[in-house]
Amino acid sequence: MVRMESSGPVRPVVRAVRLEKRFKQNVAVNQITFDVRAGETFGLLGPNGAGKTTTMRMMACMSPPTSGELTVNGLDVYRRSREVRDSLGVVSQHDGLDPDLSARDNLIVHARYFGLRGAAARARADEVLEFFGLTGRAGDEVDNLSGGLKRRLGIARAFMHRPSMVILDEPTTGLDPQSRNRVWEQLAILKQAGVTIAMSTHYMEEATALCDRLVVIDHGRILAEGSPAEVVRRYAGEQTAIVRVDAGMRQSLAARLSGQGYQVFDHATWLAVHGRDGERPQVDGMDPARIVYRASTLEDAFLALTGRELRDE
Amino acid sequence: MMAAVASRRSVARADVRLRNVAGVWLRHATAFKRGYLIEISAILIEPLLILLAIGFGVGRLVGEVSDVSYAVFVAPGIVVGNAMWHSLFECSWGAFRRMQLHRVYDSILTAPVSIRELAAGEIAWGATRSLMTTAAVLVAASAFGLIDSPLGAGIVLIGVLTGLTFGGMGLFFASIAPTTHSLTLVFTLVGTPLFFFGGVFFPIESLPDFLEPVAWALPLTPAVQAARGLSTGHFGLTELLCVVYLAALAATFYPLAVWRLRRRLIV
Repeated sequence: MVRMESSGPVRPVVRAVRLEKRFKQNVAVNQITFDVRAGETFGLLGPNGAGKTTTMRMMACMSPPTSGELTVNGLDVYRRSREVRDSLGVVSQHDGLDPDLSARDNLIVHARYFGLRGAAARARADEVLEFFGLTGRAGDEVDNLSGGLKRRLGIARAFMHRPSMVILDEPTTGLDPQSRNRVWEQLAILKQAGVTIAMSTHYMEEATALCDRLVVIDHGRILAEGSPAEVVRRYAGEQTAIVRVDAGMRQSLAARLSGQGYQVFDHATWLAVHGRDGERPQVDGMDPARIVYRASTLEDAFLALTGRELRDE
Repeated sequence: MMAAVASRRSVARADVRLRNVAGVWLRHATAFKRGYLIEISAILIEPLLILLAIGFGVGRLVGEVSDVSYAVFVAPGIVVGNAMWHSLFECSWGAFRRMQLHRVYDSILTAPVSIRELAAGEIAWGATRSLMTTAAVLVAASAFGLIDSPLGAGIVLIGVLTGLTFGGMGLFFASIAPTTHSLTLVFTLVGTPLFFFGGVFFPIESLPDFLEPVAWALPLTPAVQAARGLSTGHFGLTELLCVVYLAALAATFYPLAVWRLRRRLIV
């Protein structure tokens, strides 16, 4: 159901060079440089307010960059906005579905802006509805759909004109686990069919499951870049020890382990100790029953990179 | 810096694709078809009730105005006043709801549609609603014998022009309104005063002298004057100037709405 990309050397579809966005005095995106390559699933990972949505909006031609370069398929997102939007499917954070239209009409009406209409649009709508498991709800009012179905409809709409790339801003935020997994599966199938996917998320499992490559951003800057496994290994090691420790000993143990060169995170009743590279962290002088070893996760790396203070306070 | 500003202007001046204007218009037509039975009440029944109550009920007390029966005097004004309500409501309240509450504009703009095209489609639909209601009420008014001249058929065109003017104005108000609540002002401070002081219900000449020029400048007044001219068969230079004034207002509010929408949506 989607266009196949020709194989060959991996070319960048999106190129951002020293990309910046300011809102008056506030710098939302601070001179970031990254590529999205053809056929890959690229993740923009960051806490709330990191600049993810602003970056996504710039890629979708919804927000002119203040300075720097941003091209999609070699076309400047501002000057060649129409051509860029022609080739993109965009799913924003609020679904932006039309409540006055049926689910199916949402697709057909949107496709018309891409020149797809009449019988061809109707046939395509039915095909897309089927792929996203929405056939039985085609005639429903949008307001009668659950959150998960709405999100799938929003993604379905972005695929009506067979875009070679889709941009998804936090595609599973607010969905229940079943719906989230369903969305992940469908995105994985689309990726296999050759669609380039650029998505933002603050769900670590989502980034780990879907992304070939990601950048971690915070306060408008890129903090790390690589495959999920590379980022985890570099910033949180391969293994993490979770040490349950009494209040009295916690600080001295944390200090000792830090002195040994480990990254240690104090979680009030336990310490997370990240190993270096592939090494398992050595925690001496503790009852082994109080130590659990586990594989480091992207969340460990993420917290190591972005810190632990809350973002919406 | 100057080069960047210049290039931005040239982007803003880019082509308008009719395909996209039609696409936005068709979005409305599709939504309209879903609820057309309800729409008929707003398009025909409500204005007809006003026409009957005012024209024949109040008219019996009033007698003649400007040498015609009050019902004949008031009918063309009610027809175009109603055309104003339809496009004003659709393009202010309706547009704000789509833009702000449901983010439908954001979705449309992810497709290769420009703000000019989006605004043109919105106003075109507002004018289409004005056309539907003007035609429906005009046919009813003719059936009651309230349209004296065959020129009265031209009131449909005045209805469409009224729709374009108030569609543009409504969209402009939607584009600057901070909240849904603030849009109430469009009805209390714009729609209602125009409807009651724009010459629909009494001749402008019966206002105090100092208020006459004010009433003439109100944007519904020229529509009422032109429609009444067509209805009674007296369409002269004054009426022609009214049409020009109305067209000039339409041509002013459309770019204003585009300008404010761009500032609001592309940030």
